[in-house]
Amino acid sequence: MFELSVAMKHIRVKKRQTILAVGAVGLAVAITIVSRSLMNGSMESFFSIFFELAPHILVTPKEGEEYIYLYKTLMETIWAIPGVIAVSPTLATTATLAYEDNVDNVALQGVISVELNKVTKLGDEYMVAGDLYAIQNGRRVVLGQKIVDKLDVKLGENVRATFPDAKPLTLVVVGIFDTGVAEWDESVFVSLDTARDFMDEGDVISSINIHLEDPYQADAVASEISALGYEAKSWRTMFPDFQEAIDIETFSNNLILILVMVIATFGIANAMNMLVLEKTKEIGMLMAMGANRSSIRRIFLFESGILGLMGGIFGCALGYLVSVYLHSQEYTVTAPTAPQPIVIQFLVDPWDLLAFTLIALVLSVAAGVYPAHNASQLDPVVALRG
Amino acid sequence: MSNIIEIKNLRKIYEDGVEVVALDGMDLIIEEGEFLAIVGPSGSGKSTLLNMIGLLDTPTSGEIWLKEKNITKIDPKERARLRNRELGFVFQYHHLLPEFSAVENVMMPLLIAGVDKKEARERSITFLEEMGLGDRLGNRPTQLSGGQNQRVAVARALANHPSIVIGDELTGNLDSKSSDMVYDLLRELNREMNQTFILVTHDMKMAEKTDRILRLVDGRIVCEMLREGDGFVTRDLCELEEDHT
Ligand SMILES: Nc1ncnc2c1ncn2[C@@H]1O[C@H](COP(=O)(O)OP(=O)(O)O)[C@@H](O)[C@H]1O
Ligand SMILES: [Mg+2]
Repeated sequence: MFELSVAMKHIRVKKRQTILAVGAVGLAVAITIVSRSLMNGSMESFFSIFFELAPHILVTPKEGEEYIYLYKTLMETIWAIPGVIAVSPTLATTATLAYEDNVDNVALQGVISVELNKVTKLGDEYMVAGDLYAIQNGRRVVLGQKIVDKLDVKLGENVRATFPDAKPLTLVVVGIFDTGVAEWDESVFVSLDTARDFMDEGDVISSINIHLEDPYQADAVASEISALGYEAKSWRTMFPDFQEAIDIETFSNNLILILVMVIATFGIANAMNMLVLEKTKEIGMLMAMGANRSSIRRIFLFESGILGLMGGIFGCALGYLVSVYLHSQEYTVTAPTAPQPIVIQFLVDPWDLLAFTLIALVLSVAAGVYPAHNASQLDPVVALRG
Repeated sequence: MSNIIEIKNLRKIYEDGVEVVALDGMDLIIEEGEFLAIVGPSGSGKSTLLNMIGLLDTPTSGEIWLKEKNITKIDPKERARLRNRELGFVFQYHHLLPEFSAVENVMMPLLIAGVDKKEARERSITFLEEMGLGDRLGNRPTQLSGGQNQRVAVARALANHPSIVIGDELTGNLDSKSSDMVYDLLRELNREMNQTFILVTHDMKMAEKTDRILRLVDGRIVCEMLREGDGFVTRDLCELEEDHT
């Protein structure tokens, strides 16, 4: 492969041109890697915040049925699906809560507090008083902040739950939470047993919330559960706009990044053009020595490819280091719905490193096509004259 | 002896704006192992003829035969292959690859021929040692004298054992001592290896070291001289004046 040695020689000898071309591509790749790592990090934060309160999958009863019967078998089946990290059953109904002269209609939900906390972080992140886990022991309830405000009730006091056809219960307030999300703050949580007593129902539930290791598996897992006859919706189906917003954002961001890289590879095209002009005589000599047109073309394609690859590797290293540094700085932003300031994360996806090195390589080779073609079409006699 | 080159009614006309007839219906036979000089005034078509024989350029009309094969209209890939296998070019010193060392320059035709790198290096070193450049292997052209560079160029032209070696004004910018040395070297190789040498020169003293001298004027051979002992005999009518180039 003498073509490769000629290309390598140019790269080694033309240091300034090499540094400029590799620098331009490298910078573009580095910008891309950092920008993508910010995108990944934001997505990660966004997802984890979003799914602190939303399930990845919501399972509801079979068509025509009011409840999920035999839910223990179903839950075991769900647990057996790889990637499932939390399964939280709920028995939900409506109740009227009364405290002294104040009344409020609420969504009353019977849950297993440990499981609920796994799918929502309600117990860990959003309690402002008391303890979510306390509902497991007897006639106890935790209330959302909105309800607390309306009833003007305090921790440790009794509220009365009633509803037509329901068995009235007296419940001790053992916890208060505040999520900032109206829907949630108008809910109350009790144990599954308490909810069944209140509704006078057997061992049934009305829905199951599921969390997965990887949210992007939600569709696959949901369809697996649907196959059993239950209604299973992934977060994508529940919040279609959410996915669309992410897709549009990702697409436009990627488009800009690819454009940045295309512009950077103009640097390679320019370096190659200059090189072909400068090396005209040398090309003539190589032709006189018997190098054919495709060999000459290959020299310059190799060269742009190698420059692109070097740029890609350099850019990945630089981008990775900058991302790691920025990540370690733990910059924060505050959001009105988030309980704490959000740490801006820069997460480098290893696939991005590979993908953008390859993209840099492909774009650079493409940038070399025209100059390489020009070089190969030189007339040896004219070229030798310089 | 067999004919290595046959040229039949070769014409080359350049046409940019004005028409220039560089070769005007030339016939020429070169035998294997000949040591031939081409002389003539500037613009007489010497380089054009060499470029045709060297497969760097194509004629407007006429035919070129190499080793009994018509190569006038072969495809570029085959031309490149023949240049690599059958021909060795010696250009002026600045026609060495400037960024490559002496040994890398000599290796290049071998690498183009597909010879493996290690073997190419060994063979190139042997050539350079024979040229008395064994201690200059790693030097680049800028680090060598004109005469040394020209010897590197000769080594490069010979590296692939071509059947024809062609040189265009190859001692044009050397002092007479260096050019004598290069000529003597070629002469010796010609006797040893029976390779064919075709050398363009405007220096009659150099030309007189060869076996046959062709004189070109306006794209035609106007005079041919053959060695006989220490002198030359003319075949056709010749006006034996010195060229002023
Ligand atoms: N590429 C070209 N375009 C036009 N005219 C050319 C070209 N190459 C050579 N010529 C002309 O052809 C004639 C012969 O040129 P050349 O073979 O270089 O002569 P020499 O080598 O004997 O000095 C000259 O008149 C020269 O000007
Ligand atoms: Mg000339």
